[in-house]
Amino acid sequence: MTSWSSLSEAKQRALLRRVEKPARYSGGEWQACDKWDVFFHLQEEDRIRFAFCFPDLYEIGMSNLALQILYATLNADEHTWCERFFEPAPDMREQLIKEDIALSSLESGTPLYAFDIVGMSISYELAYTTVLDMLHLGKIPLRSVDRGERDPLVVAGGPVACNLEPMAPFFDLVMIGDGEQLLSDITALYRKKKQNRMTKRDFLFEACRLEGIYVPAFYDVTYCPDGTIDTIEPNVPQAPRVIQKSVIRDLNNAKMPLAPIVPHLNVVHDRMVMEIFRGCARGCRFCQAGFTYRPMRERSFDRLSDAARSLFQKTGCDELGLLSLSTTDYSQLSELLEALIPRAEKNHVNLSLPSLRLDAFERDMAEQVATTRRAGLTFAPEAGTQRLRDVINKNIVEEDLLQATEVALRNGWDRLKLYYMLGLPTETDDDVDGIGYMVNRLIARWREIPDQLRPRRFFINVSTSIFIPKPFTPFQWAEQISPDEMRDRQQRVASALGRNRRVNYQWHQFESSVLEAVLARGDRRLANVIEQAWMQGCVLDAWHEHFRWDVWETLLSEMPGGISFYTRKRPLHEKFPWDHIQIGVQRIFLEREWRRAMEGKTTPACFEQCSHCGVGKYGSGVCLQPPRAATEKGFGHE
Amino acid sequence: MNNTQLNRVLLYYARTGSTAWLAHLDMMRLFSRAMNRAAWPLAWSEGAFNPRPDIVFGLPAGCGIELERDPVEIGLDVSNEALAFDLEDAVRRLNTTLPESVRVVDAAYTEPVGKSLMSRVFAATYRIEALGVSSAYTKTFTGAPVMVEHVRKKKTTTVELTSKIMDADVSDDNTLLIVCGAGSVNHLRIDLLLKALVRDGGLSPEGAAGARLVRESVLINTVSR
Repeated sequence: MTSWSSLSEAKQRALLRRVEKPARYSGGEWQACDKWDVFFHLQEEDRIRFAFCFPDLYEIGMSNLALQILYATLNADEHTWCERFFEPAPDMREQLIKEDIALSSLESGTPLYAFDIVGMSISYELAYTTVLDMLHLGKIPLRSVDRGERDPLVVAGGPVACNLEPMAPFFDLVMIGDGEQLLSDITALYRKKKQNRMTKRDFLFEACRLEGIYVPAFYDVTYCPDGTIDTIEPNVPQAPRVIQKSVIRDLNNAKMPLAPIVPHLNVVHDRMVMEIFRGCARGCRFCQAGFTYRPMRERSFDRLSDAARSLFQKTGCDELGLLSLSTTDYSQLSELLEALIPRAEKNHVNLSLPSLRLDAFERDMAEQVATTRRAGLTFAPEAGTQRLRDVINKNIVEEDLLQATEVALRNGWDRLKLYYMLGLPTETDDDVDGIGYMVNRLIARWREIPDQLRPRRFFINVSTSIFIPKPFTPFQWAEQISPDEMRDRQQRVASALGRNRRVNYQWHQFESSVLEAVLARGDRRLANVIEQAWMQGCVLDAWHEHFRWDVWETLLSEMPGGISFYTRKRPLHEKFPWDHIQIGVQRIFLEREWRRAMEGKTTPACFEQCSHCGVGKYGSGVCLQPPRAATEKGFGHE
Repeated sequence: MNNTQLNRVLLYYARTGSTAWLAHLDMMRLFSRAMNRAAWPLAWSEGAFNPRPDIVFGLPAGCGIELERDPVEIGLDVSNEALAFDLEDAVRRLNTTLPESVRVVDAAYTEPVGKSLMSRVFAATYRIEALGVSSAYTKTFTGAPVMVEHVRKKKTTTVELTSKIMDADVSDDNTLLIVCGAGSVNHLRIDLLLKALVRDGGLSPEGAAGARLVRESVLINTVSR
């Protein structure tokens, strides 16, 4: 067994010449953190080597904002050196295995097993087998119980951390909530562990007392005869019955990556990014992030304006993305754009505003955005009819989409991307047909605009995905439709859109959505299945070229209850595998929202009217602000 | 020379270590970003849809090749900043905004000539370091044509190598120095050369894969207006 840094230069060159895109593995990017010369002057017990692992390829991981935030946060501490790891592509993976080389960090070529803490940042359930693969390639025992005192502490966080039960046996601890403070707390505590020569178990006893820290091994789960959860109880006195998520009350006090790593490779989102606010006030009932990141907390205009200046100077990139879950909800967006656009123009920087709500895409904003280099425009109506949009609480009406499209067309956009979801609760054929109807209305609207005021051509890209019920959403009780229904509905959309040369329809293979649904609401019994799937070659499951449904289907079918046990509709009284996790939004609120969905009733956004979801207890963000005036079209379709 | 002429700069740069693994497009992006960071007043191509900074590389560098002195030409927009732009200072700044493994080693103002920088490149010198590489070269290149198959986009063509090599120094068995054709005509691909050395010269495949490849210089034709 060897590591990258111990190979001769000739050997390193030979390996890099055998793989595609060797720059994925060579490191040395601008502003990557190199502490080699200073870090090792510290006493061994006074320094923490943190391995930040992103269980996907370099190009995906380096597009991830959380990586940049947490990398900057950890490396700001002189006692910590955070280095990066990504899953190698299959060609490099094969070389590492063949030559018995441990997965090593980009910064210093140090093998994963030599780190103090290994942190897995997990953004999606389909990364689970890749997590195991990275541990394996890094020569670390997969299961927590098999790791000794000399093995690294393996921790996890990220959007799926609110239910990592299917991965429970593999992690020593899970971080729930905002990572910035959590990671600082954990590294500080781990330093204390090293200084005082504490055992790992004693460290975990202390760690589990911290807000947001969940130690899966400290809880026992029992099951009812029908396979549902009976009890989830702590098995040590130190562990709390309920784990509260960690929340940064004032985002202005949190670190922003002002000098982020600038990748050499053309990564998926090759741009500088600013998170303008965290959380979402909207409450779309299918959206997990919309509930788990509540309350909505904005960064101040001044902070963002300064950050943009620093990003322009320190990265030299030609695109700046203003990120959030719903960018048009930023209270000072217009002022921010007004301040940023002249600077962006001067620096030849394109502003990109993903996650635009189409009810807020108005003339002024279109004109503002159109002045910088124009990127594509994407709207997400999510459902084809008003009835279903009310069920999911999307709070937009057909006229919003028509108007937003007209504004876009009159400002020079000639391509539109529309996102829809299939299989939403209560969906009927009429809702599916509504997608085709809506698209035709949009084309008709384009025709109505006088020739000289509209683009000569107009194309619409329609994309559908399959609804996946997620924990901590009002739809956590909903069923996922069967694969046959998924196929039928995709075909129905395709035929409703017809052979229109202005429309392109894209859909995804639905099998991966089934797996995602199983894992999202899964329990600890799935850990064996995940490990088996990995042993049979499943890795990088989110990549359709690597996804092995045959393996997963066989393994899941062998479980009692099979796939449908996990995709079924859940009764309101059922105990969930994540019931011991408290993410702020109360179960009783989600239940109320589920009932309102079934009645087709909408709920206003937080900044219009408080719905008493439970996150008010944090006394932060939108919960502290006086209500904004309700928009005419905001709600009221009850 | 008046200020209006001081709007083109010819830089020579070196790259080693991690950046030697960048593809040409990545290298171009790296330079344009480093120049933005160093606040170089780059000239931009006209066009509303996809304007590009005026940065022209003399010769694309293959993945895994280190460079010691490769030319890149930069167009400057000095309309507002003629007095502020001091080349020496700007290069110093640029070297602080480039990754450590890339360095500008020389810079001078240049005048636009009839042909682009790329089309004026005609040769390059390479240093290839591998065990027994010079013996392999002597055995392979005896004066007769050396034919090598080149697969590109699933199409196979046969390329003759001898005529592309102008000079070679084999005095050190583990270091081969060659001068060869480069650019739009008579370009020698170093990977094909290594392929021939393995096939005909007995260089070990592992030795070829692990060889250190360094482009020492790129030769440019000086063309008058």
